[in-house]
Amino acid sequence: MQFGYLLSGSAPTIKKYKSAAGHAAGIIVIAPVAGATGVSTSTTILWANSLGLTLDANVSQGSPVSYSTTQGAVEYLQSVIINPDAVLRALMVGSAANAALELRTVGTAASNGLTAVGTAGETDPSSPDMDEGTVWYSSGANGGASRKITSTTTTLTVTVSMPFAANRVGDRFMTIPYSPGNTAGVTLSTDLLNVRAELAATGATAAVVDYELNGNTNSFLHLLPMDSIFAGQIT
Amino acid sequence: MSQTILVKKAYTRAEIAQAQEADGKTKGRTAGSWVHDLCALKKVVTLCDFCKPKFNPGRLGYIKEKEYPVVQATCDGCTTFDPKCTAYFFEETYHTVRSTASMRRAESTAYRKRLAHTR
Repeated sequence: MQFGYLLSGSAPTIKKYKSAAGHAAGIIVIAPVAGATGVSTSTTILWANSLGLTLDANVSQGSPVSYSTTQGAVEYLQSVIINPDAVLRALMVGSAANAALELRTVGTAASNGLTAVGTAGETDPSSPDMDEGTVWYSSGANGGASRKITSTTTTLTVTVSMPFAANRVGDRFMTIPYSPGNTAGVTLSTDLLNVRAELAATGATAAVVDYELNGNTNSFLHLLPMDSIFAGQIT
Repeated sequence: MSQTILVKKAYTRAEIAQAQEADGKTKGRTAGSWVHDLCALKKVVTLCDFCKPKFNPGRLGYIKEKEYPVVQATCDGCTTFDPKCTAYFFEETYHTVRSTASMRRAESTAYRKRLAHTR
């Protein structure tokens, strides 16, 4: 994930924390768990008590390191941006291993523009459920247009309320379970860097501030992780 | 015989996190040596206005954060918390952890151009 901007528009606050695990750059770290000697790593579905986003990695000669067991050695440290209103920009991917989002193909044309029906063999948008998410086209008359999904059915169909222009067989489209201005659960990829948008919106709690809908390899979510320990609430 | 009164305090998570802050350079260490060690480890370097002129980011493969010219951080040179520090990122990791408006604009423009060809 990348640090995008601050909701408040003020200056970022960067802290260097003691670190005892080989955290990568661009992941959420959480308050030290019991027994840890430094900030702890979040998981793919949990970032409760988050501290913020790491801005550098723990490396030594190019390799990730945890901590030194040499007596008197200097502690490892890691820079973290800790603003609770920091908006993170996360690439949307289609698997735990960061595959591209599924690019669907219209199999049945809809002249009224109220549905987008995929082609047999594609993942059904009702499972994992994309309901209340977003559908957008990357080709055809609707290329670049997006709508909020109002329902999904098991017939490869997503339904919208505000109609698109009539689509044609062969037009390409994508679906994600997120829509901006809402809270959602996010599941991260195994490397904790990206958001898995092929799954239903469950997992680590976040607010979706905005998104960038481009192609299936370069679309991004703008997320505000909830439950920061600096947000003034104790959970 | 004197008695010691122990007052138990309930620390908040934020206070515990504050205690996790790294100490910075050790006593007797020169600032330049410490900052060069941070650079060797590709860490973010934050410097106050007084220490900034002594740092040459380009020579060490670093770039200055320009979208946020001011960050709140502890200066790696003089270990003072300063709300008007400047952040320097290792150039190779900058795009992993930062998204600037100009990068987003370039990506969006490139996509719109590609999209125009599909219509």
